[in-house]
Amino acid sequence: MHTLRRGLLAGVLASLVLALFDFVTDGAPGNGFPLVLRWFGISIADPTISRFSGLLLLIALGGLVGLIFGALQRGKLITTGRALLTGLTLGVLWWLLFEVVLVNMTNHAPSPFSLSFGRFLSSFPLAVLFGVLIGAIFIQSQGYHGSCQSS
Amino acid sequence: MHISSSTGEPKGVGAGASEQRAVVSPITLSERSSVGLALLRILVGYLWFQQLFWKLPPTFAGLYEYVVRESQHAIFPGYGALLQHTFLAGCSSLSSPVGCTAFVPLAACVWTAELLVAISLLFGLFTRFGAILATVLSLQLYVGLAYTGWIWTYGMLVLLALVLVAVPTGRRLGVDLWLAPRFEAAGQHHRLARIAGWFV
Repeated sequence: MHTLRRGLLAGVLASLVLALFDFVTDGAPGNGFPLVLRWFGISIADPTISRFSGLLLLIALGGLVGLIFGALQRGKLITTGRALLTGLTLGVLWWLLFEVVLVNMTNHAPSPFSLSFGRFLSSFPLAVLFGVLIGAIFIQSQGYHGSCQSS
Repeated sequence: MHISSSTGEPKGVGAGASEQRAVVSPITLSERSSVGLALLRILVGYLWFQQLFWKLPPTFAGLYEYVVRESQHAIFPGYGALLQHTFLAGCSSLSSPVGCTAFVPLAACVWTAELLVAISLLFGLFTRFGAILATVLSLQLYVGLAYTGWIWTYGMLVLLALVLVAVPTGRRLGVDLWLAPRFEAAGQHHRLARIAGWFV
């Protein structure tokens, strides 16, 4: 149970870091959040509602990936290397599913795997970062949890 | 994370030395501060990451205008002439790199260096190496472009990079979390690992 809860927390916090990027990007903050809705073919006319819904969906998806991460770690010895590698793998899967397949499907692209260099460069590192962050936050929370218990 | 100030051993012995030891206390960075600095590192990495997109290969066209500006407004007089006679030699236009033979190799090196900085700082992977590279690139920008806008803009970029050189921020929320203890252990037997360990 602890593992699942820590995974959920790691997923939510990692998605908040991704969301933070949208506040330091040029232009009005939150412009990237409606893109999260578009992964599922949802578009909302009101820009404010669209941004907030996109942010909430991003956090929910982050939490879901974090739960999957936690479930994968259950009953196993959790090492830093293993946590980072699992996170990285989930990040690559996140990129493949959301940034490649779903984007291509909703844009009616000729192939679900079509990709330009610019789109690859703008999406892949951030998706992998998301995964690595889940692993790092998870392992750090383990250390923090351990130190709280021992004191 | 534990950061000790490198005060070194006092040379003298006696009351004076022990007084000095009492005044200069070691600095310990709390876990929260470490995570905060790791977040700062990620955001600085994102800053470098974002700047890759207006000068994409294969033409790197967006960069040309800035190199020309550097050659005209550099802080050191010789620096502009150096650019004009090397990387901008043969360029006929101020707005596009037509006829420039050395511009594309320069731009490719700059772009690759910035990509390395972005990856290093975003992922906390050999963070101090990335931060040193960021310091060099920022210093170059400061020398070339500081007079073209608010002078502190590039100065602050240099200072930010220097903070990331000083503090091993990749050891929280980064891959250096995994690398650092390995290099520490291997560094006891291998010189190369000891040197590599300094970059994480």
